[in-house]
Amino acid sequence: MNNPEAFSERETSRSSGLGWEEFSREVVEFFASIKLAMFLFIAIAMTATIGTVIQQGERPETYVQEYGEDVYRWFVRLGFVDVYHTWWFTSLLGLLCVNSLTCFYKRFPAVWRSMRQDRVSVALSFIKGMKQHTEFKVMSSTEQIGERILRLFGEKGYRVLVKNDPGDLTIYATKGIMGRVGAHVAHLSATVIVLGGLLGSSYGFQEFGVCLEGQTYHIPRGNFDLRIDKFWIDYHENGSVKSYNSTLTVVDEGAPKITKTITVNDPLVYKGIWFYQSSYGDAWDQIEVARVNIKEKATDKVLKTVDLEWKKEKAVEGLPIKITMTDFVADFAFNSNEKKVFSKSAEHSNPAVRLAVDEKSSIQATPWIFYHYPDLFEVKDSSYQYELIGYQPKKFTGLQIAKNPGVKIVWIGSTMLVVGMTLSSLIYHRRLWAKVIPHQDGAVVHLGGTTHKSQIDFQKEFKKLTEKIETKQN
Amino acid sequence: MARSLFLFDMTFWLYLAALVLYVGYLFAKRPSLQLAPAGHPVGGFDDRDGAWATQLGQVATLVTIFGWIMNTLALTTRAYERMEHSGTFAPWSNQFEAMSYVSWAIILGYVLLELRYGIKAIGAFVVGIGFIAMGAASLLPYRYQTAEPLVPALNSYWIYIHVSVTLTSYAAFAMAGGLGVMYLLKERAEKKGSRSRFFDAFPDLETIDELGYKAIMIGFPLLAFGVILGAMWANYAWGGYWSWDPKETWSLIVWLIYGAYVHARMTRGWEGRRAAIYAIFGFLMVIFCFWGVNFLLSGLHAYA
Repeated sequence: MNNPEAFSERETSRSSGLGWEEFSREVVEFFASIKLAMFLFIAIAMTATIGTVIQQGERPETYVQEYGEDVYRWFVRLGFVDVYHTWWFTSLLGLLCVNSLTCFYKRFPAVWRSMRQDRVSVALSFIKGMKQHTEFKVMSSTEQIGERILRLFGEKGYRVLVKNDPGDLTIYATKGIMGRVGAHVAHLSATVIVLGGLLGSSYGFQEFGVCLEGQTYHIPRGNFDLRIDKFWIDYHENGSVKSYNSTLTVVDEGAPKITKTITVNDPLVYKGIWFYQSSYGDAWDQIEVARVNIKEKATDKVLKTVDLEWKKEKAVEGLPIKITMTDFVADFAFNSNEKKVFSKSAEHSNPAVRLAVDEKSSIQATPWIFYHYPDLFEVKDSSYQYELIGYQPKKFTGLQIAKNPGVKIVWIGSTMLVVGMTLSSLIYHRRLWAKVIPHQDGAVVHLGGTTHKSQIDFQKEFKKLTEKIETKQN
Repeated sequence: MARSLFLFDMTFWLYLAALVLYVGYLFAKRPSLQLAPAGHPVGGFDDRDGAWATQLGQVATLVTIFGWIMNTLALTTRAYERMEHSGTFAPWSNQFEAMSYVSWAIILGYVLLELRYGIKAIGAFVVGIGFIAMGAASLLPYRYQTAEPLVPALNSYWIYIHVSVTLTSYAAFAMAGGLGVMYLLKERAEKKGSRSRFFDAFPDLETIDELGYKAIMIGFPLLAFGVILGAMWANYAWGGYWSWDPKETWSLIVWLIYGAYVHARMTRGWEGRRAAIYAIFGFLMVIFCFWGVNFLLSGLHAYA
């Protein structure tokens, strides 16, 4: 903003009529403006708070219960139940991209030009118009003082260019252009990150799978199979959980490809699909072992306690009975239309086991026995009563299965953002011009400088430089 | 456990002592001398009161440095304790440790600032914030202060870098907030034409303003880096780099707030009073992001 050229440019643009060029310039001006950037920053910040206060993506009943029906209707209308995917929120993000891209388009060419070549020779009025400028007389020759300034600027890490005109000597020095380049890199990164995000949400997926040990599951999205070899939990000394582990094997085209034990922070990746250890629990349709009491009906005495393994026939020692556990439900329910037993939920609130009982080959029955209701049913004509007194649940491992082809692009954008921001925070661009004009038996030095930020630091530096040039020669 | 808690306690008392000394320094009768660039008063010490005040200032600095060393020791001891009990050594694995780390970073930043610019008056504010952070940590219930083993989601090498970078950015914003308060006080005093010793010790408005801006310029990229590291971690642990979890969202909000500031500052001339108020507002948002979110909003980061 200290650049006098910028003002003159603007004035000429205003005078030309309302043509297309004028219009497009105004549009660029608007979209590249910092005012818009600030508006967007604040607007996004404010609207983003909504989603942290109102629970996102819950079921309608949850909202109605908490806020009432009318408020809920407004929430839906305004998109407050899923703020981050509403048209207006995504538009704000889109506008931020447009904003930063237009800024790049408008301002980067100048930075690029000054990286490659800069105007060395400037008018004296240009130097005098700068925010930081000074002039002083020295008693040495133009060449001597020019040399001195050159050396000083060089020592301070400036890139120096000199132009020797007939009447005067102009020295141009610049430093820290990378600070401005950094800002533009950071601006571009916004769009890169958003593009990566879009790519991920259109071509990626995220699913959740409940998997049992020993089973093999087909992953249709990757056209390969995944076998769950093992799931277990490690504990710390004090009993808290140390890690959840699942050993997985990828089976592709019939052959095992990789085996890996995944934990919460260490997923398995195959063909771009990531498998995360996400949760675990007790299966609702299978158990490992059931413990069953066999009682004599007449005396109600426990004759035997047996442990039944899943779907394995067991001959009871000393009794003429063979039992197999054939089914399990965690939350018993009966569908009377289809005549089918099913589990109402994944909770183990009414566990029941179905047995296939073979008593001396004379009585065959398939009774359901209930953990909570031991006397509910009995096997007709049998002299025995079966009771489910305990069971060892089968653990399932909950896997998050995700593919995100945009993620690498997001990391590229992120790197650009961090590198760009760091450069632009630590380095600031400075330009200095010195004009040495011979005057009587010495010379007059005109020194001017501009920076686009850190005015105070620059002012100090400018003062120091001036003092050095002035005092060195006396 | 007891060993590190004792050291954290000692740190707290040392910071309190340093704060009292700095405030005392502000009220003391100082020699009206120009400060040389190195920060040591030049000229003679004929004025006995003045010499006394200078010594007070020096003691304040020493106590601060001593407190910081104690803080360092406390964190290292905690790191060893963590190594024994849980699979990590990161001494910023719960709210208490995080607070202690933030005060460590604030005080380190302050000491560097004082050594470089030789302005002691800032100590009363910035060491004050460090002390408050330490005090707030020690007010947490005991079960939050101990080094419990990490839940599996946190047990990862990402915790070393993601948490420390983010907390360091908070420390920078805290410093900017403290400087903002100083700016407003000094400005008010100047408007009233107050010639009190208290405000006289403050650096001039321009310097406070510029230092505050610098602190934000350090915090701003650090926060971006911290958030991105968090996204990378989330991509390893949760199956997605961004899930609009309240903590994530709030750190983005804080980043956007400072983003607006940085842009306004560069071109719209947001300096002085406005910048100071904005820096204080930003710091309040940081506090909410750091504490408020953990205790008021539910989400994936609710580990404390």
